[in-house]
Amino acid sequence: MKLKRKIPSLMACLLTTFLASTSVLALEGDRSIFPAPGTERARLVINGVTDAEVIAPLIRDFQLRAPDVTVEFNDYVSNDLFREAELACREERSHGDLWISSSVDHLVKLANDGCARSHRSAETERVSAWANWRDEIFGFAFEPAVIVYDASQVPTEDVPRSHVEIAELLRRKPDEYWSRIGTYNVKLSGVGYLLAFHDALQAPTSYGRLLESFSRAQVVTSCCNKEVLDLIETGRLKIAYNILGSYAYARYLRNNDIRVVVPRDYTLILTRGAMIPTHSPQPDLAARFLDHLVSERGQKVARDKAFYFAENAPLPPGVDGPISLIESGIGRPIRVGPALLAAQDRATREEFIRNWTSLLAPGAQ
Amino acid sequence: MQRTRRSLFARLVIRVAAVLAGGAAILMTAAWFYARAAADEAYDRLLQGAAIQILDSLVVEEGRIAVDLPPSAFELLGLAPRDKIFYRVVAPDGATLTGYEDLDFPADVANARTQALFETASFRGLPVRMVAASRAIADPSIGGWANVLIAQTTEARQELTTELTTRALVLVGVMSLLALGGTVLAVRYSLRPLDALGDTLRRRDSQDLTPLAVDVPRELSPFVESINHFMRRLDDRLRLLQRFIADSAHQIRTPLTALSAQVSLIDEEALSDNDRRHLNRVKNRASELARFTTQLLNHAMVIHRFDSVQLSPVDVVDVARKAFRAAVPITIDPDIVVSFEAPPQALMVLGDGLSLREAIVNVIDNSLRHGVVSSLAVRIVRRGNFVLVEVEDDGPGIPAQDWPQVTRRFVSSKSGEGSSGLGFAIASEVAATLSGALGFREPTPETGFTVFLELPLLDKRSAP
Repeated sequence: MKLKRKIPSLMACLLTTFLASTSVLALEGDRSIFPAPGTERARLVINGVTDAEVIAPLIRDFQLRAPDVTVEFNDYVSNDLFREAELACREERSHGDLWISSSVDHLVKLANDGCARSHRSAETERVSAWANWRDEIFGFAFEPAVIVYDASQVPTEDVPRSHVEIAELLRRKPDEYWSRIGTYNVKLSGVGYLLAFHDALQAPTSYGRLLESFSRAQVVTSCCNKEVLDLIETGRLKIAYNILGSYAYARYLRNNDIRVVVPRDYTLILTRGAMIPTHSPQPDLAARFLDHLVSERGQKVARDKAFYFAENAPLPPGVDGPISLIESGIGRPIRVGPALLAAQDRATREEFIRNWTSLLAPGAQ
Repeated sequence: MQRTRRSLFARLVIRVAAVLAGGAAILMTAAWFYARAAADEAYDRLLQGAAIQILDSLVVEEGRIAVDLPPSAFELLGLAPRDKIFYRVVAPDGATLTGYEDLDFPADVANARTQALFETASFRGLPVRMVAASRAIADPSIGGWANVLIAQTTEARQELTTELTTRALVLVGVMSLLALGGTVLAVRYSLRPLDALGDTLRRRDSQDLTPLAVDVPRELSPFVESINHFMRRLDDRLRLLQRFIADSAHQIRTPLTALSAQVSLIDEEALSDNDRRHLNRVKNRASELARFTTQLLNHAMVIHRFDSVQLSPVDVVDVARKAFRAAVPITIDPDIVVSFEAPPQALMVLGDGLSLREAIVNVIDNSLRHGVVSSLAVRIVRRGNFVLVEVEDDGPGIPAQDWPQVTRRFVSSKSGEGSSGLGFAIASEVAATLSGALGFREPTPETGFTVFLELPLLDKRSAP
């Protein structure tokens, strides 16, 4: 029994180190080029934390309106983009025309340090107040943090529909789910850190219990959504926690066994932020793309093809969750604003990660 | 030459407007200072609250200070939603625990131990408001004072200041306009007695020297009293002068009568033709002088009577008939046709019979002397509430442009031909005193030149 428990634990350790090393590869950034449909006259460089295939519909739609623009999209892991962007800003050199990140706390910190350029237009008026800071950061996607499970492995009665129910499930059936739960590694993923930080803020007690049960259940942590979802699809994991809704739903569309649950006690809602850097070589072009992202047309494309969830729309079909997210008060948007600076504080972050690591992945330290 | 200065109204309004504008400017400046102080105080409390929360979160763990920044502190600061926040947490040994290492407080942080300090400064080229707060760390190993510095950009403060100032601006503006409007109305109202006084003076008859009877505010009464005093003196002077003229005329009459008598005693037969012609001239001049003296006396009499005699109802027809008899001499050229027409009933006016008779006599006399060629008609006509005493002759009449002048004293209708013109003046004065008027009518093919006295009929109901 003891041995049996040790092997997967070792595996998990190996896995985390492996995942950590893959993230190094991502440091260079995955470059995707979207050539201009017409004659290329301009080249827009976007550095973002989003899978290129997710944002591709938006870029292609933009190119319908601007056929002379080639778009270069570099996909980063959030912490890497932050590091690069901060460095570029401090050295006053350019690093792409537009930054996109789901780790809005990074963007807030960058804007606070004067790395953002203010932009106002008729389109940016449409952005909700909680998703706009100083007309410098604009939230353009509505991303609930959801629970994902593999319907072929998790029986209906086990499906957790709230944060407490995950803890309950792990307490009830520790063996079934031992090492079969996955979530973000907050050390590697900025989004993971941001979600965990706000979990701790929203429900300190239940989050403490959750972490404790994660620790006991030897949770598998990963740098990225994509990898956690891959692990579920391959049958390695049964349940994944704090996955961004858009990735999860995209996976559900591909494989109906992978189900999406929007928690019913509270749901953190993240927005992907876009920001024009101070030293953007082509701020006007970047502003055009940004306007497209937040425009009605861009938002419709995002809802239909890229991110599926939207602030003023019902949950997409097939998602298990409350009928209305915002009106019921279950949805808790993470406000883009100075309060996120607390999450970005060096000491606070180190302390949080230290606590988290000591609980969840003592071997990874 | 009198120079017209700017009106009292303009002076008052301009001065009040200047005072109001000055007051508004002072109030606005004060409001701006106050608004800035209020905005600073409001947001300083947020800063201080955040600093206290951060200080409270410092805990000593295993011999080192652990920082776990409370997000609520930043949410508090986030109440100024657009403002950037820079902070620094400093350990007792001066090491930066977390935050922006280049953030420095412009004053000595040691003073923050008793009370949080606030400063307005600049960080990374942005204007910021800073707070410094301290807390004693009671751990023996790292005892001392830990400091928190927080700087916040001032957008929200400026916005609040602008908003408060704008509201004050609207209030002060509305109040100033109301005050100015009120002043305009008040000044208008206060100056109204002046206008009334001016009107009274303007409308006043040039002959009227009675005291002004208008109600004026206290400030104006010395002015009115001066006018009245002046008029009284003028009136006294005029009376003296009239009495002197009357006395003189009276004094002249006696020697004049003697002179006429002496002249009539001269034996004309004994004189040569030349001497007789001279004697006739002397006779004519003497009679002219006698007539003029009589007129002067009559004039003095009329004025005296109006000063002393109470007006009473008189019959115009009766008075006019008497005047007609008195004015038309028995020795009149028999070729001249004279007539008198009057309605059978009496026509009553409020007046003085003697003065009225004198007036009519003078008009008829003037006509006989200067107008009549072959006919003279005197008519009493009733027209509405007025009675007209018309004297018509077939002479050339008086040109219309001379009408205003002939009622003045010593202006003759025919300049150059004698200078006996007190007649119309007496008639005009009497008519004016009886609320009537002396008028002229141009000759037409049917009628000759007419002079008429127009007098208001006595209202029977109000007659005594």
